[in-house]
Amino acid sequence: MEKLSGYAFIAAMLSTALATIFYVAYALSGLRAARMQTAGMPTTTTVTGFTSGPRTAAIGRYATMLGWLAVFALLFSLVFRTIATGHGPFANMYEFSAAFAFGILTAYMWFERRYHQRILALVALPVAFAMMVYAMTIPATIEPLVPALQNNLLLTVHVAVAIVAYGSFAIAFASAALYLIQLFIAWVGNRPEPGGWGLPRLDVLDDIGYRAVIVGFPFLTLTIILGAIWANTAWGTYWSWDPKETASLVTWFIYGSYLHARVMRGWRGKRAAMLLVLGFAATLFTYFGNLFFGGLHSYSGLN
Amino acid sequence: MTHEVQSRPLPPAGAPAAAAAGPTFMDRVDRALEGLWHFLSSMRVAMVLMLAIAALGVVGSLVIQAPPGVVDDPAAKASWLDEVRPKYGGWTGIMDTLQLFQIFNSLLFRVLVAGLTISLIACSIHRIPGIWRTTTKPRVDVGPAFFEHAPQHEAIVVRHTPAETQAIVEGVFKGRRYRTLSADDGAIHIYADRNRWAPWAGLIAHMSIVIILLGAIAGTLFGYRDSQFTIAEGATLPVSGEPGLTIKLVDFTDKYDTTTGAPIDYASQVILFKDGQEVNRHTIRVNDPLQYDNTTFYQAFFGAAATMTVKDATGKVLVSQGVPLAWRTTADNRPIGSFSIPGTDYVGWVVGTLGNGDTTIKPGQMKVELYTAAEGKQVASQVMDQGKPTTLGDLTVTFDREGQFTGLNIARDPGVMLVWLGAFLLFAGFCIRFTIQHKRMWGRIVARPNGGAVLGMATLATRDVSQATDFENLVTDIRAALQAPAQS
Repeated sequence: MEKLSGYAFIAAMLSTALATIFYVAYALSGLRAARMQTAGMPTTTTVTGFTSGPRTAAIGRYATMLGWLAVFALLFSLVFRTIATGHGPFANMYEFSAAFAFGILTAYMWFERRYHQRILALVALPVAFAMMVYAMTIPATIEPLVPALQNNLLLTVHVAVAIVAYGSFAIAFASAALYLIQLFIAWVGNRPEPGGWGLPRLDVLDDIGYRAVIVGFPFLTLTIILGAIWANTAWGTYWSWDPKETASLVTWFIYGSYLHARVMRGWRGKRAAMLLVLGFAATLFTYFGNLFFGGLHSYSGLN
Repeated sequence: MTHEVQSRPLPPAGAPAAAAAGPTFMDRVDRALEGLWHFLSSMRVAMVLMLAIAALGVVGSLVIQAPPGVVDDPAAKASWLDEVRPKYGGWTGIMDTLQLFQIFNSLLFRVLVAGLTISLIACSIHRIPGIWRTTTKPRVDVGPAFFEHAPQHEAIVVRHTPAETQAIVEGVFKGRRYRTLSADDGAIHIYADRNRWAPWAGLIAHMSIVIILLGAIAGTLFGYRDSQFTIAEGATLPVSGEPGLTIKLVDFTDKYDTTTGAPIDYASQVILFKDGQEVNRHTIRVNDPLQYDNTTFYQAFFGAAATMTVKDATGKVLVSQGVPLAWRTTADNRPIGSFSIPGTDYVGWVVGTLGNGDTTIKPGQMKVELYTAAEGKQVASQVMDQGKPTTLGDLTVTFDREGQFTGLNIARDPGVMLVWLGAFLLFAGFCIRFTIQHKRMWGRIVARPNGGAVLGMATLATRDVSQATDFENLVTDIRAALQAPAQS
């Protein structure tokens, strides 16, 4: 089972890498189509602003298929791992990183299905791939759980919920990054209007970012609450300002500010996108936190 | 799940009142208070406070925080600062002055949290009347300009009479489970909404943060906590926060993985007595605390203990108990523990070995020191082998055997239920706030001079970038209904 899980993981990595290549090809094909359009050749433009050429749609479909393949391969890997260890695949940094990559991939595919913005993959998939590469560098040996983690129900639910939140925040980050990149290109090129190059329209990105956060934020809230419940059972106090707890609260406050910023005049768009980037930085800080700040969450399996 | 942000205000109901001739003193006070209220209930201020707290949190997770209890004890604090000095060097003093080692107890943090709480309450109070009005007494007549300037609006010319049109429009709304209200002052005004209670969810989510904070305060004020309770195997000790309650540690076991050496189990087998009567028996593990009444006992830490017997000159046994070696000497980091000797004015200290290679106190030996309880003056000190009665002053002390002690965290927190209630409301509030929207639409029907009518439809919700909005769907339905062949 452990071996099967490893093979499925490799398969997931390969399909993620391939999918990324196809998504890049898709974007390039779209870019070419956009150029052709300015030259007056036949193309189609969707409502959301993406221009596609004759082969673009086919490449996009292959990219999506590979993306789903990666999701399922990783899902199998995690399921096999769960069977092998007897607990949710969240007990050390290897398992947690694989699960994080799964969260990002799944969130991306879900948003692609709903909003048909394949360009988001250009940011989201490399982040997921980086997570898997990172997982590869960590020993994947199965060790018995330390006493604090011996709570199967809370271990599974607390971390599974966190994965959903982190995955959504990765999508919010992807849309914010594409938003800011467009502003940056416009600023560097000294053009009055950002946009073009087959990239999604700014208001579409703003909207996707918001929708990703309103999925992620309640899940982050639930992660913190479940963490407090667990802490109260295992350590005897629901809040002890442990560095990981604190970092998750910092993340919560940043996304909380984002949600307020977005309904305020003058904070939509650029500033909101910057808050999303800051929020994802905090998410990663929370995630990698136990590597350098010790504290009660220091069970990473790395010494 | 569609989201239409409905944050824009409706156009004002009447023209603003004419300004008074000149500002009086009371006007100025009024204006200052209004300004303060505006400041407190401002979302911008709340946002800045949130980001400031987040910034302090980053500091708090990067800088080592002093353990609880250390801060209030000057001696403990000084020695703790010496421990971290190698890491922070010359900055240690400055960081201490800035309260960076106790950031979550610092003045700045308290001020920010208090500020955010006030802002949260002010903001909520500020919004209650508006939410109450939109829920119970929504404005039906919003004026003709609204139907031209609203984010989404439509005008439809119909052949029906105004009354027929109203019936058809209301029928479509009812079919989509909207509530409709109408008024007629020559023109017919229609208001339709769904999920009118949903805005309260956001308010509840905000207020639940106050509930959580109240729970935390209640815990600090009325709760009891001993996170340093140590008890050796075989010993029975009173629980200081609970009169009449005593706890006996039968056995402590720690298990390790044979290949990696990682811990796999810590278990304290205890019996609880109330006024001498056994009331509970449990094996406390890390994820399995013992609950009795409102007090909970958690597994926290453990260590070596020494069972000591002390007899006086007549042979009477004064002490026979396990002494937890729960502390460390500052000089050479040896495990150390103390015990009182009833009937004498001495306090005993037991100092343990550092293990193999220790020549002062070899493995299997303990050093026992006697001090006077009043002055803390050392009267005798002796390294002794296990099982050999040794004379110390006028007492005979025996180190019987080594054992273990367990460290428990004993807590009674009356605020915890409030915290869970707040947490539940917070999560439920967010879920409702982000999935169920209060949908509001307005209609206006005006008769045309030569028959038929004009139907205006409008909503505050913005157009959606990726899918048809409820407004667009409704307008489509209404058009279809209006064009259906008239029933005879």
